[in-house]
Amino acid sequence: MKFGIFFELSVPRPLTREMEYTVIHNALEQARLADELGFDVIWAVEHHFLEGYSHCSAPELFLTAAAMQTEKIRLGHGAVVTVKEINHPIRAAERGAFLDQLSGGRVEFGTARSSTWTELGGFQADPDATKKEWDEFVRVLPGMWTQERFSWEGNCFSMPERAVLPKPYQEPHPPLWVTVTSPGTELDAAARGLGALGVASASYDEQERRTKAYHQAIQNCDPVSDIVNDQVATLNFLYCHEKLERAATRGMNMLGYFGMLNSHLLFTREAYPTRAYQSLANLAPSGGGNADDPGAAAAIPQGVCIGDPQRIIEVIKRWESIGVDNLNFLLNAAEILNQDEVLESMRLFAREVMPAFPRPTAEHRGLPLHQQTEVSG
Amino acid sequence: MLVGTADAAALFKERAVEMTRIDTDAEMLEDVVVLQVLCEIESSEECAMLPPGLHPSLPPLVNWQAWSVPASPWGPFTLATTRIECRSGLRPRGLLTGAFSNSAAAAEALRERWGYSVRVAEVALERRYDEVRCSVALPGPDDEILDIGLRDPVPLGMTDVQYVASLHAANTERGLRLVQCDPRIEPERAERGQPIIDHFDAGAWGEERIAPFYPVSASVVTAQVTLPRLRFVCRPGEMAFTGTEHV
Repeated sequence: MKFGIFFELSVPRPLTREMEYTVIHNALEQARLADELGFDVIWAVEHHFLEGYSHCSAPELFLTAAAMQTEKIRLGHGAVVTVKEINHPIRAAERGAFLDQLSGGRVEFGTARSSTWTELGGFQADPDATKKEWDEFVRVLPGMWTQERFSWEGNCFSMPERAVLPKPYQEPHPPLWVTVTSPGTELDAAARGLGALGVASASYDEQERRTKAYHQAIQNCDPVSDIVNDQVATLNFLYCHEKLERAATRGMNMLGYFGMLNSHLLFTREAYPTRAYQSLANLAPSGGGNADDPGAAAAIPQGVCIGDPQRIIEVIKRWESIGVDNLNFLLNAAEILNQDEVLESMRLFAREVMPAFPRPTAEHRGLPLHQQTEVSG
Repeated sequence: MLVGTADAAALFKERAVEMTRIDTDAEMLEDVVVLQVLCEIESSEECAMLPPGLHPSLPPLVNWQAWSVPASPWGPFTLATTRIECRSGLRPRGLLTGAFSNSAAAAEALRERWGYSVRVAEVALERRYDEVRCSVALPGPDDEILDIGLRDPVPLGMTDVQYVASLHAANTERGLRLVQCDPRIEPERAERGQPIIDHFDAGAWGEERIAPFYPVSASVVTAQVTLPRLRFVCRPGEMAFTGTEHV
């Protein structure tokens, strides 16, 4: 089992510049600690205009800073939005390769097509086109990274022969992932040999069904490159405290607040009827409140890593049994937890929870996640 | 997080309808044509247009809907509504600011049984080959208050259009409440087209601060529409987690 941190960089209101500075630099401190404690990867999302929810609009810069302050931890550039109005594929390839050079080959490269009208509408992108643009995007990136000179005639974009520079540090290139929100996208990932970077909540049963389908489908994939990144990652929340009650209270504050921020976004399907977005994405598991029973206390939802170490171990054992390879954690939401709480939660998790799971060996740390061999702790 | 800042009593003073009962039965309506046009609105007043129990969407939207109902217990009627997209707790909702119908009988039923703040006006929903248009006019010359529509429709799947539940301000025996009305709209035909927004008189629709500026989408479906039994009401001054009540 590999453990990652997932940075949204959510900011509490009022949205001051000072608070944005605090959030960004707290996250960098968390990244440094994650590297020291043996976490395997940090992911930085790409979002635009999602005020409060995510101010991580330039993840390549955040990750560059993180790369300069860490040694082993993998850098999840993801997911890069593969919508041509937002990122030109050449620029995305260049930035990913440059970050890989700067970090000595530690980049995992995620791809996504954005799920909100807030973002797509802001860039005046066509929601109907995002899936086919993504499909073309993931097919050209490996070529740009590996061919001395590259040209392309496609449906969504074209380029004459040019050398896309620099090339990545890793051979042949950073492993590719795609974010999975809508059911079925894991099969799109598998068909192309991409890792499935889950970013929406799912029950154990639902995740088990999707994980099995993914692992089965990727056996017969037509990979977009020489790398078959057979990995399933899911998103979770982490708040670990010795006292279960304290963990539940503080952790649920974080989860509930994140859920509220998430619910305010204008998802594409709500605003723009299209076949291209079949379901509403939702990162937050329910549990922050229940309109059917207003008096009910919010319980820790199934599968969420909030609790004392023993509870969290039990939850992760269940995810492990389902076939999930990577758990990525949100550590905070709009600074609901103070920085000391977050850091102490990470330390306790590393001390009490991590040793209960097979972990990458020391010599494998820093290698691409799919190449890391795990041994029992 | 962003929350509504309006004083609920003042905000709904003119809009709230009187509902003596909130335990109405459902009504099914067949072959209803439903036009929905969405447009981003200026955000400077997004919180001022909502009570503290609601949150704005990011970005804020106005949602116009028009129904052409060929047959109902109150005869055929056409209904047009203006709503502000918002959130009640974690859920997307549309806060009704105003509604008009061309049928006094339908208006009365919608008002008394589902809490629509609806008045009688000249309401038309017309379909041509390449365009669907909704217009609303008050009695008198030059009193058009809405002219919206959809151009160049193309087919969609039956489940591609999303509708959000409505919140209607009503004075009930429990006091001022937001009545949650979530009609079930089951399309048999669905299309999307270019949104047309030629005229909107915000003041006539109960909220003069709605300032449309960026058209988003337009859809039209032919559907079976079920006006539901009411299940929940909300205290407008409280967040949904504590302010929601069962009917």
